[in-house]
Amino acid sequence: MRGTPMTNEVSHRPARSARSARRHWRAGFLRGGIELRHLLRNPKEMSGHLSNVVVAMLVAAYVGDDVPGTGVPMAHLVIAGFAAYLLFQIGLVNLPQMLVTEREEGVLLRLRVTPGGIPAYLVAKCLLVVVVAVGTVVLLLGATALLLDGPLPDGPGGWLTLLWVTTLGLLAVVPLGAALGAVLPNPREALALIMLPVMGLLVTSGTVFPITSLPVPVQQVASVFPLKWMAQGLRAALLPDAAQAAEAAGAWELPLVALVLTVWAVLGFLLAIPLLRRAARRESGSRLTARHRAAVRSGAAST
Amino acid sequence: MRAPEGSSDTTATASVPTVPTVRPVIQVRGLTMSYGGVGVLHGIDLDIHRGEVFALLGPNGAGKTTTVEILEGFRRRSAGEVRVLGADPERGDDAWRGRIGLVLQSWRDHRRWRVAELLTHFATYYPDPRDPDELLALVGLTGQAGRQVDRLSGGQRRRLDVALGIVGRPELLFLDEPTTGFDPEARHEFHVLVERLARDEGVTVLLTTHDLVEAERLADRIAMLVGGRIRACGTPAELARRAAAQAEVRWTADDGTPRRERTEDPSRLVWELHRDADGPIPGLEVRRPTLEDTYLHMVHREDDGLDGTAAGTGAGAGAGEAQAA
Repeated sequence: MRGTPMTNEVSHRPARSARSARRHWRAGFLRGGIELRHLLRNPKEMSGHLSNVVVAMLVAAYVGDDVPGTGVPMAHLVIAGFAAYLLFQIGLVNLPQMLVTEREEGVLLRLRVTPGGIPAYLVAKCLLVVVVAVGTVVLLLGATALLLDGPLPDGPGGWLTLLWVTTLGLLAVVPLGAALGAVLPNPREALALIMLPVMGLLVTSGTVFPITSLPVPVQQVASVFPLKWMAQGLRAALLPDAAQAAEAAGAWELPLVALVLTVWAVLGFLLAIPLLRRAARRESGSRLTARHRAAVRSGAAST
Repeated sequence: MRAPEGSSDTTATASVPTVPTVRPVIQVRGLTMSYGGVGVLHGIDLDIHRGEVFALLGPNGAGKTTTVEILEGFRRRSAGEVRVLGADPERGDDAWRGRIGLVLQSWRDHRRWRVAELLTHFATYYPDPRDPDELLALVGLTGQAGRQVDRLSGGQRRRLDVALGIVGRPELLFLDEPTTGFDPEARHEFHVLVERLARDEGVTVLLTTHDLVEAERLADRIAMLVGGRIRACGTPAELARRAAAQAEVRWTADDGTPRRERTEDPSRLVWELHRDADGPIPGLEVRRPTLEDTYLHMVHREDDGLDGTAAGTGAGAGAGEAQAA
């Protein structure tokens, strides 16, 4: 969508554009609500999100020891790490996959030719991602706290840390995921391209075991990416300070967590805005047809 | 066919008396397009007026899609002047978009949504939308209101696309091969719907199709696009008359054998036959050259590499219309 004002008879007055902006926000919220309802009604997708929580709980129930050098149960470190990973996955796997699929089906084109459609789409997607992310983390922490004596923040400071790390973590990965969704070719290849690096980061970022047990070069590579810092931030929120002994720096390094996640968030926004704009602009009927033909040829879609 | 009020002359802007200075809904002058130095469109001129159903007809690769996507604002043109609803499509903003409806053939979006839910949702984007329930009745999907979109048949899905295309009360509707895959009944209902939109609500419709029967049935005017040029433009009857093909007269001779003769002047031949027979002629039939004859002639001429004299037949030239008036 180009926002350039037109130089003809349909130029609009501020009152009218304020009214239409309100209408677009409303459409976005309605859309988010409807998409959420569809997600909750879809057993396949729901089981995908729920099985992540179940896997986290199984791993947490399985590990028995304490984090070496601390009196903190290993299970708590695993739960904090998984909470970070779930946020990471929603932003960088689920969101791009959703965008690529909807691009291919023509949702993006439909909204591009609808007044206010693209802003409403973004509002709806943000709403959906935030609700799913918060829902998943709440479910994980709630279920582990009830069933496995899992960790919960200690005092208002801990809750505050949980809140800002979750928010900043989502801000770091969601725009990045949107950028990925705007450039990846099609839903089938997209998943293959994303999953390998994501799995690599899951293992190397110290989410499911102490990062200090990894070789230093691996730690350094993982430190570039947001997952390591999201996990570290959530450990700071959920684990007692004694657990800092197992950190690479021997401390939570919260200012550094905030800095790295902010840098990723800014980077993500800088990438996502032009890429999404380009993706929307490039949509057209003939492109849609061409993509559909390609999908049919590869046997991935029905006519 | 329904004719625009007053006259069918494209140049007569006075044909809508209430608005004396009415501009065409779509105005194209000298539109050219080339990809990497290869010309696809070579100077298209078009005038499409309010309430008109206009069909763009042509073989694959003739430039139909390119032309329409330039008008829809999806592609940048190489040169030429294009005004759609008073604006340059390359600079069309949201308000402009809201005045245009689009029905494409490859939409498979929002599969999980329910029919009524989807239509009601898209109504919220527009300032003055149609009532979703009335719209469902209009496109004959009331019975499918609660159904999930991916459970619709091909024809139902396309009718839903039409409903989505007109929910915002567009002034201009683009229909891309709208009835591909329809059964005859669904196609008939679709034609009635398009006619109603144009006649009762003054919606301008630009239809692209391969289907000559559909173009003839629906369109007030047809432009034949071949090899990136408009080879002919006019009412279906005018185009048919322009065919090089002759009319064919068939009858049964006195001895009972079927006879046929091709002629430029069927009226004269029939008169002569009647005079000779001095009474009714059994099995008399006059077959006028059809739109298909014209179409095949145009396409064929292009294949032969002969550049037909498009002069006077170009859109907006008004020559053909003057004959009909």
